[in-house]
Amino acid sequence: MDPILRRSSFYYVTSLLMYMSLMGRYMLTRDWPVFEIMPLFVPVWILGGLFASESDECYAFLRTLPVPDRRVARTKFTLILSIVAVQWLLMIGAALTRMDEGIAEPSTLVYVTVTCAFALLAAAGYQIAVWRFGLSTMKPVLGVSIAAGIVMAIIHLASLKKVDDWPALSRLGVVEWLGGAPWISCAILVAVALLAYRALMRVGVRVKASSEAHL
Amino acid sequence: MDTVLEATDLTKHYEDFSLRGVSLAIRAGSISGIFGPNAAGKSTLLKVLAGQAPTHQGSVQVFGSAYADAEQDLKNRIGYVPQEPVFYPDKAVQWLARFSAPYFARWDGAGFYRLLDEFKVNPLKKVKHLSGGQKKLLSIAMALSHGAELLILDEPTAGLDVVHRRALLDRLRAFVADGDKTVLAASHITDGLDEIAEEIWFLDDGRVVAHEDKDDLLARWKWVHFKDGALPKAIEEGLVRVKRLPFGSSGLTGDFLNLRGALAGPLASGDVRLDNATLEDVLLSFIKGA
Repeated sequence: MDPILRRSSFYYVTSLLMYMSLMGRYMLTRDWPVFEIMPLFVPVWILGGLFASESDECYAFLRTLPVPDRRVARTKFTLILSIVAVQWLLMIGAALTRMDEGIAEPSTLVYVTVTCAFALLAAAGYQIAVWRFGLSTMKPVLGVSIAAGIVMAIIHLASLKKVDDWPALSRLGVVEWLGGAPWISCAILVAVALLAYRALMRVGVRVKASSEAHL
Repeated sequence: MDTVLEATDLTKHYEDFSLRGVSLAIRAGSISGIFGPNAAGKSTLLKVLAGQAPTHQGSVQVFGSAYADAEQDLKNRIGYVPQEPVFYPDKAVQWLARFSAPYFARWDGAGFYRLLDEFKVNPLKKVKHLSGGQKKLLSIAMALSHGAELLILDEPTAGLDVVHRRALLDRLRAFVADGDKTVLAASHITDGLDEIAEEIWFLDDGRVVAHEDKDDLLARWKWVHFKDGALPKAIEEGLVRVKRLPFGSSGLTGDFLNLRGALAGPLASGDVRLDNATLEDVLLSFIKGA
């Protein structure tokens, strides 16, 4: 296994295991609005993994090794994609097991896919920003983003329970409509997200090679 | 002799500093020294030459290739030691070796541990517990342990004690002894590299202000000590860094080879005396405002 991938994966895998042990348990055991709230934590968790991984990275040292920058950039992007894909698959699996109970619906599959796609692209954007502006500049931005994500999820959860007409994101009209043919919708959403991610990865490779802020 | 590294018109801008139109060529089998004051651009230049930082203009060819075309191959053939080496601070030295080894085509693990032993760097120690000098030695050990043909060293002797400095200088001499390998080092003048460098580049304010073979350079730069009125006026006016002293004056000339004839008379009279200049003396005469 590539040493850079092995080293970087530690933080992402740790964050995945934490997510699945905490949130996954809820998704398998709790009732509505568990599938409305838990996917909102996916971007938060991915950004947390990114934050920890980048804090412990040493790009100046990596640049002295015979490893092209594009390989380092692709390794990081592949890792983010893999972790989000695993998270998506596990959440889809959890949703499918709860459909008979009515806790999850076909639109839940679409909603989970949308949140994972958002997490994927947000993580890619932040990764590029870290390379472009350096971690010290991006640390406050990442920290505020993570905190804002947690606060918004908690406010959303509280509002769903306390406010009668508070809108559920997983039951928005467009999500419901896409949920009419969930597998086709998910396939299209995944394809679009992957295309956008690929474009961001190309940008990331260029930014990583031309920037010194992260060294 | 073959050129192993050729830089043309390198330009790189930072907020408060610019490397401006630097061109140089480094011969195979030589030890070349880039000397200059603080903030002259030495580290920036070496970073660009070692493929650690991009330029805004100009090109670098190493072993006939550009980094854009052959980064992996070139970094296998180059050993780069930065001014302040950076490693994963929480990892042990031996972990770094295990981490790095798969990336090098010709990693010599046994040689690396021999060097650590020679440099008295404990492989079990975490990087954050190493001193600045030990980090430098660790970086040098890594640069020497993967079959590099060109060493690019940024102030390699800075922070080293006299024993390790001497050992490193001897090792660099041995490194180039067979004529195939090359050393390019940037340094302040007084740390020993000036002794072993064969070709000298002076850098000031982001520009190359002088480049010459060291022996030629030192042959034409001399201190001239003279009693007042003993030197022909034209020669006296051509001296730089002139110091007026109670018993006479001293000045530096970079044109000694052409002045030899004119100085023969005053030298014979005993009113004029010559001394060899050091590289530091010469460098100071090139630096603006020194």
